[in-house]
Formats: sequence, structure tokens, C-alpha cells
Amino acid sequence: MITFREELKSRFAALGITVLVLLAALLVRLWTMQVLAGESFAAQAENNRVRELSVSAPRGSIYDRDGRPLVTNRAALAVSIDPADAEVRSLLVRHQSSSKDDDPTRKEIQEAFGEVATMLGMSTQEVWEKVSDTRVEALRPRVIAIDVPIDTVSQLAERQTEFPSVRVDEIPVREYPNGELAAHVLGYTGEISEEGLAQADPLRGYELGDIVGKTGVEAQYESVLQGDKGWRLIEVNASGAPQRVVKEQAAVPGRDIVLTLDLEVQQVAEQALADAIDEAHRQDYPKAAAGAAVVLDVKTGGVVAMASAPTFDPTQFLGGISQAEWDALTSEGSEYPLHNRAVMGAYPAASTFKAVSGLAGLEYGITYENKTYYCAGKWTEMGEQWPKWCWKRSGHGTISFRTGVEESCDTVFYEIGYEFYKRRQEELQAFSRSMGLGAKTGIDLPGEVSGRIPDAAWKEEFNRDYPEYQMWLPGDTVNMVIGQGDMLVTPLQMAAVYAAIGNDGVTMQPHVLASVMDSEGGTARAFEPVVIADPGIDPANLAVMHRALVDVTEEGTGAGAFRGFGATVAGKTGTAEVYGKDDYAWFCAYAPAEDPQYAVAIVIEQGGHGGSTAGPAARQILAAALDLPVERVHATDQSR
Amino acid sequence: MDRDLTTRVRGAVNFPLVLWATALVVYGTVMVYSATSGMSSGDALIRRHLLGIGVGLVPLVIAWAFDYKLLKSWSGPLMFVLGILLISPRIPGLGYEAGGATAWLQVFGVRLFQPSEPAKLILIAVMASLISEYKGHIDRPRDVARLMAYLGIALVLILLQPDLGTGLIFVAIALGMLLLGGLKARWFAVFALIGVIAIGAILQFGLLQDYQEDRLLVFVDPSRDPQGAGYNLAQSRIAVGSGGLTGQGLQSGTQSNLHFLPERHTDFIFAVLGEELGFLGAALLLGLYLALLIAALVVSTSSRDLYGALIAAGIISMWTFQIFENVGMTIGMMPITGIPLPFISFGSSAMVTNLAAVGMLLSVWSRRYGT
Repeated sequence: MITFREELKSRFAALGITVLVLLAALLVRLWTMQVLAGESFAAQAENNRVRELSVSAPRGSIYDRDGRPLVTNRAALAVSIDPADAEVRSLLVRHQSSSKDDDPTRKEIQEAFGEVATMLGMSTQEVWEKVSDTRVEALRPRVIAIDVPIDTVSQLAERQTEFPSVRVDEIPVREYPNGELAAHVLGYTGEISEEGLAQADPLRGYELGDIVGKTGVEAQYESVLQGDKGWRLIEVNASGAPQRVVKEQAAVPGRDIVLTLDLEVQQVAEQALADAIDEAHRQDYPKAAAGAAVVLDVKTGGVVAMASAPTFDPTQFLGGISQAEWDALTSEGSEYPLHNRAVMGAYPAASTFKAVSGLAGLEYGITYENKTYYCAGKWTEMGEQWPKWCWKRSGHGTISFRTGVEESCDTVFYEIGYEFYKRRQEELQAFSRSMGLGAKTGIDLPGEVSGRIPDAAWKEEFNRDYPEYQMWLPGDTVNMVIGQGDMLVTPLQMAAVYAAIGNDGVTMQPHVLASVMDSEGGTARAFEPVVIADPGIDPANLAVMHRALVDVTEEGTGAGAFRGFGATVAGKTGTAEVYGKDDYAWFCAYAPAEDPQYAVAIVIEQGGHGGSTAGPAARQILAAALDLPVERVHATDQSR
Repeated sequence: MDRDLTTRVRGAVNFPLVLWATALVVYGTVMVYSATSGMSSGDALIRRHLLGIGVGLVPLVIAWAFDYKLLKSWSGPLMFVLGILLISPRIPGLGYEAGGATAWLQVFGVRLFQPSEPAKLILIAVMASLISEYKGHIDRPRDVARLMAYLGIALVLILLQPDLGTGLIFVAIALGMLLLGGLKARWFAVFALIGVIAIGAILQFGLLQDYQEDRLLVFVDPSRDPQGAGYNLAQSRIAVGSGGLTGQGLQSGTQSNLHFLPERHTDFIFAVLGEELGFLGAALLLGLYLALLIAALVVSTSSRDLYGALIAAGIISMWTFQIFENVGMTIGMMPITGIPLPFISFGSSAMVTNLAAVGMLLSVWSRRYGT
């Protein structure tokens, strides 16, 4: 019996060593995991249990230059679905799982949201799409409807136990105390798009579902208006149900901003556009439906009013715009109400450009105030086979340069343009550009276009596939000098040009921001006026043009519109020919002529003649700016 | 107490064995308490755990008092009982399915126990009596075949439940006992070869349940499917790792209390221990296990006969494998199987079985002298 233990000694040892080795292996592994890598696992555990929920900051308000509110916030009743609710959570978990078989069935979705959807007048599918949007933060309640009628809210409240996932909260939404006023300048807000999210500065911390400015000032000053989000760290359990708030940081509200707009002038400008369209219809231009008007402060470049017709209602975008509404705003035939024509519309300037081409002629010594021309109505300097006509087919007879501006005589300007052509220096283009045409003004609004000052190089490039059209011809310069042909300007550019003529030839940068306010209501940062163009025009030449432009409103093509006006106005009519359309009516001016303060540019698409359609509108707008009685007048003008 | 009685008690009681087993039971109770404290049924669970310990003391004392040698000649009837136990859950009306296996015995709808737990001890008794017949030398193929036939029957029955985890314990028990029983080394090589071929065949012919295959794939590549099959492993590794050196304190583990850990009071209780008591707590547990296993090894070496030594070796093998597999799976060293941690995991069947095993060791110890 003794022998068996002796024999087994080595086997006992083997058994013991096996035990020791296995336990030692566990211990070593535990040492590396817990002591050496413990911090990394602790971070993972923290990541497991803590979810961040952002707290949105109230958006800054927008005021006019006198502190009158243009955009503020109001509390709206919003119905949301809380994803932390057990039933919703389980549907979402199944929706997000990789297996298609797990997806919630139509019936389950109908059971969960059908009744709420009906009460809110929505389809179940609409509700589910908003709830199941996986791009939104996991714990953020999904807003499914805002501005819900109070009786619907009280019905939901009474039946709270039936709809445990439904929450009714007050959320801040944009309010527009003046309705559609200045909609194009102010812009609208909406949920950030995926592209917007991709392009946004990652430090700003945008997430899907965030409300951001989409157009206008709302978009331009998004970073100022948005404010800094706060956050809450929430401890959740394994199924994602919140347990408690671990830590939180309050949101910092967005800054308020003050614009250069004047509420009253803006109102009049919008009314004037509507009146002008109405007047165009009365004068047998039935297609008139759109236009734009800009008023600038001559000395600072501040935009006092900027209107574009047709306009839109920014409240349509609150809580997400419906597809039908969006289609109505963007479809062909809608006249594109979202377009801010003041900066996005590029038009031939027509005779309003004569202030620029006339100055160019004076500057290059091609003409002078009393230089006389003979207008026979038909002009054949370029050859009998290339006749050009003055708008007054019977001709102006013998006419000076100054009167040529007053009467908008085309023949005078054909002569000037032909002379520019013969010099072959493209001086007209260079001068136009020196006054800021053909380039963006750099206004603080999104979407501005640069217009076009055509020249030989442009024409060759533009027609690169049509060699026979590539050569710059005398007719090109002769068309351009009267603001036709291939030249294009925006209403804002023309307002800036007329402001410059009234400001000793110095162009100020147009801008809409006056100042950013600090949290106490003081001024944190004020916009400083910036000179964007100063070509050094001879003051004597400016004086010639100034006198001629005053003549226009006193005796010339704009006299009818400004008869009996309480201030001296230096202005110019324009009637643009656009292929396949009725004429576009223009009027540009600055006033008071003695000490210019405001410049205005207005265009009415297919509105007929400048002096009869645009002129009276400009009169209304200038009256508002200069605190004169705003009167609606009727005038007739046959010029171009 | 007179001197004679003191000597007799000393002779009957292996104090280290009792001490370490008691320490483990206490440690386990603390951990089950901590793991279940956040549950709505926590009080009921801890009461059931304590009840299991109390019930387990009965077989412990019986096994202690019982002369283990009497079992030696009962290998036939014991094998029969083993078969009945393993088949019983398959008998209509008696089985209760949980976790993908019909591993529970129920009578009139009352869940009684998992027959696979006591079956492990019966297998140890049967194998001990068979192996001891060869007096420490096993080499003839027919002898090996006979032993394998008995083991094979037990394995087939347990895999029918299907309970792969307990099947692996059976294999571990047999290997440990054959080592002590004198199986020649070349046979271990043959077994290793058969094992490799068997694993290959199982994978090739898809004999595993889908969830078992997922567990194996996740074991090979832990980053695979972290929300699905890999979830348990990922969460338990995070729990253990985040415990650091000293742990987050009892009842303070976030992985456990916020329900990230699955099966936290049963199969994954070691993850709770690792999270809440850290490396020091885990090292203490492994130290207690080592002490217990050494005490059991002393029992084995002190046995007056080969049969007793084999019984102790079987119990050592059973515990060692369960500890290694259970702790190993929570830290990603072993694939996940449903094997409880001896003395620590919640579960009365396992607790009663482990206490009975302590009783068997004491029976061997107390009869080490005499004839």
C-alpha cells in the first residue's frame, strides 16, 4: 500500500503544477488588464454609461437701425417624441439593428404613433420618419410638430398615460413682428442640412436637427446669432434609459445684432415696388411681377432698405417647410420669391448706365458739358448697313452733352461709345470697373452676383465655340455705352454707383450690419465704413454729371415722376430691352442733390419705361428716407 | 474536550480545506449581494443563495460521514443513476428549457435543480472506481476503450441537452483523473489528436448551435459584432479592466449596476468582482482558490488508497477547469460558455454540488489512516 504514493509522486506534482500554471496565467492577464490597461477600460466604461445631450442656445434677435425689432424669438408649443421612452426605444433599437428582420412592422408603428399622428393632422409615416432619424443625438427628443393648437395640446395632456412618449415643450422659434417685411435681407432659418454640417467648422459643434440661418442675415451672421450650446452629461443604463444628470453647462445665448435697415423706409420700399408693378399693369405692361429696390446711405454704404418682389413668408420655414410650400417657392413660373433680386438679379443697366459712360467720356476728354451733337434719330456712323436709332426716332436735333443726359439722347452716347471703340483702349470698361461694376460689392449678404462688364477678352472666351462671334465689334461698345448689349449689373451695384457720384466719386462698401450687441445690450462691435473704390474722378467732371442728373428730374425724362417733390434729386431713368420680354424699368438717383445722403436704385422687370414706372417708386422711397410726404404719382416717359 | 476526542476531531477535519471553502462561500455571498443589490428581486435572490448554502451543508455532512470506499464497488448502479440524471430533463414534463438548453429538472412546474451539477460528482465516483482497478497503470487499448466508453456515454447524454460547458468539465475531470491513474503519455497524445479532429468535424459539419459558433468567432476576434454576439465579452472586459488596482467599491460598479453586464450574478459574477474590487480583489479570490486546491491536493496525496486519491483529483480537476474557464471567459482568454464560478456564482445546484464535493474530500481525509 505504501508503494502507490511513491509511484504517484510525479503525477501529483504534475496535477499541482497544472493548477498553478492556469491560475498564474489568469493572474498575469488580470494584471495587464486591470493595472496596466485599467485607465483605457475605465474610459470605455465611462463612455458606456454617459451620454451627452446638447442644450440649444436662444438665437440672437435682429433690430433695425433705431432698435426696432425685425426678428425675435417666441415660445412655441412643440410636440416631441421622447426616444428614452421604453416602447419608442425598443422600436428604435430594432430599427437600427443591422438585421432587416428586426425592423418594426407597419402595424407596430401604427400602434405606437398612429393616434398621435391623427391628432396632429399628420401621417404616421411622417411621424416615424422624424422619430427614426438616426442622425439626431440619441437622447434628443424628436420634435414632430410645432405651434400645435392649444386644444390639441390639452387633449394630449389629458391622455398623457396613453402616450407616455409624447412630450409637449415650449421651444424658442423665430418670430417676425413685421411679417414678411425685409424677408430677403433677414433670410429664414431651418434645420442644418447634411452638406451644411459637413462644411461647418467642427469647433462650432453643430449637430443634425440644429436650427441655423439658411439665407440672408440669418445665414451671414449665423456664428454671431447662434450662440454656444450648453450640454448635459446624462448617465444611462444599458438600455439607454437616463438615470441622472452627471454634469451640466448652461447655454450661452446668441448675440443680438443691429442692421442699417430703417423699418419705415423698408416698408415704403416694399410698398413702392408693389405700387410700381401695379402701375406697370395700368400702363399696359401686364407681365410685370418682379423687381428690386435698394436704398444706400451715401456716406457709409449702409443699406437703408432692400426690397425684392415677389417676396415670401419666413414663418413657412418654422418647424420645417412642407414639400408643397417649397415647390410653390421654387418652381418655374413662381418668379422665384426666395431670390433676393437686389443682389442676385443681373440686368442690363440701360440708360442709368449713361451716368457711368458719360463720366467716362468726360474723364477721357471725349466729351464736355456743352459739346454739341446732332441727333437725326437715325445714326449711321458705323456705316449705312449698321444703322442705330435714338429712342426718339424723330431726333433731338442739335443737342449738348448735358442735355443729352437730361433727355437720355442715345445718339450723343453712340458718338461717345464709337469714339471709345476707335481708341481701342477698353477705357469704358476700365472706368466702369473702377466704379465697382463687374465685381461683387462684397456686401454682407450671401449669394451676391458680380454682373458683367463685357470686353474683347470676355467675348472671345464666351464664344469660344463660335469663332465667327468672337471679335469685339464697334457695335459692342456702342451698345454698352447705353447700358445694353452684354453688360449686366445688379440693383445694388447701381445704387452703389449713384451713391459714389453723390459722394465725390468714392464708393463705400454696401453693408447691412450696423453693430453686434454685447450681452448687456451695449455695442460689442460696430461696422466701420470701408471705401471699396476711389478712382479719383475729376471733381469738375463729377459736377457736370451732377448738374445733368439734376436736370433729368427737373426738366428731363424723370421730371414727371418728381414734379412737386420737396427735395432736389439727381437721377436717371432707364428702360432696358431684354430679348423676348417687355422692357425693364429702371430708376437710379441720389438726394438731396445739395448734400447727398441717400442713393436709390430700382428695377421693375417687364415694367415698361423707367420714368413712368420706376421713377414714381423711387420718389416714394426717397420721400420716406428724407422724411417727406410719401405720395404716389403717375407720370409718363417714352425714353429709353 | 479530552485529548482523545481532540485528536479524533483533528483527524476527521482538514482545517485548511474547511477554512478556505468557508472563506470562498462568504466571499461569494458578498459578491452575489453586491451584484443583485440593484435588482428588484435582489432580496429574494440573496435569500435563495443563502438557502442553497444551507441545503448544501446536508450532502456535505452526509458525504463526510459516509465511507467513500463503499462507492467503489457501485460503479454499475452509479453509472445508471448518472444516465437517469442526464436523461431526466428530456423526459416530457420534467424538463425546463433555459438559455438554449434543457438543463433543468422540474416537477409539477417547480424548478428543482440542474441534474448536470450532481452528475459531475457521480462521474468522478464512477471514473475513480474504474481507473483504480488498473492500479496505476493503464496502457492496454481495451482498458482505454472501456474507460472511454463510460466517459463517452456521459458526454453524449450531456451534449444532448445540449450543455457543451458541462461536457467540457466532464472531459477535464477525466483527463485529470487519467493523469493520476497512470494513463501512459502516448494516450494523451492520441486524445489530443482526437480532440483536434473532433473540433474540426464539429466546425465542418455545423454541429454547434448558431450562438455557440458566434461565441467562438467572437473569441477569435473580439471586435467582431460588438453589439451582438460580442456584446457580453466586450462589456465584461470593460468591467474587469475598469476595476483597476483597487476597484470601484462594492455596489459601485457602473457596468454592473447600469445593466451593461449580462448574467452579472451568475456566469459573469467575476466581472462584477473585477470591477468593484479591482486587481486586489481578483488576486485575493485566485489566492483563496489556490489555497483550496492545495488543500485538496494534500487530501489526494494523503489518501490511504488510489481510489480516494482519484476522487480528490477529479474534484481538483473539476474546480480548476471551472475557475479557469469562467474567469478566462470574462477576460477574453477562453470562449464564452455557461459555466459557473465555484462557490461564487449565484445558483443553488452548483453550490450544493460544490459543498458535497467538500464533503467527499473530508470523507477521504478522515479515513486516511486505518485499513
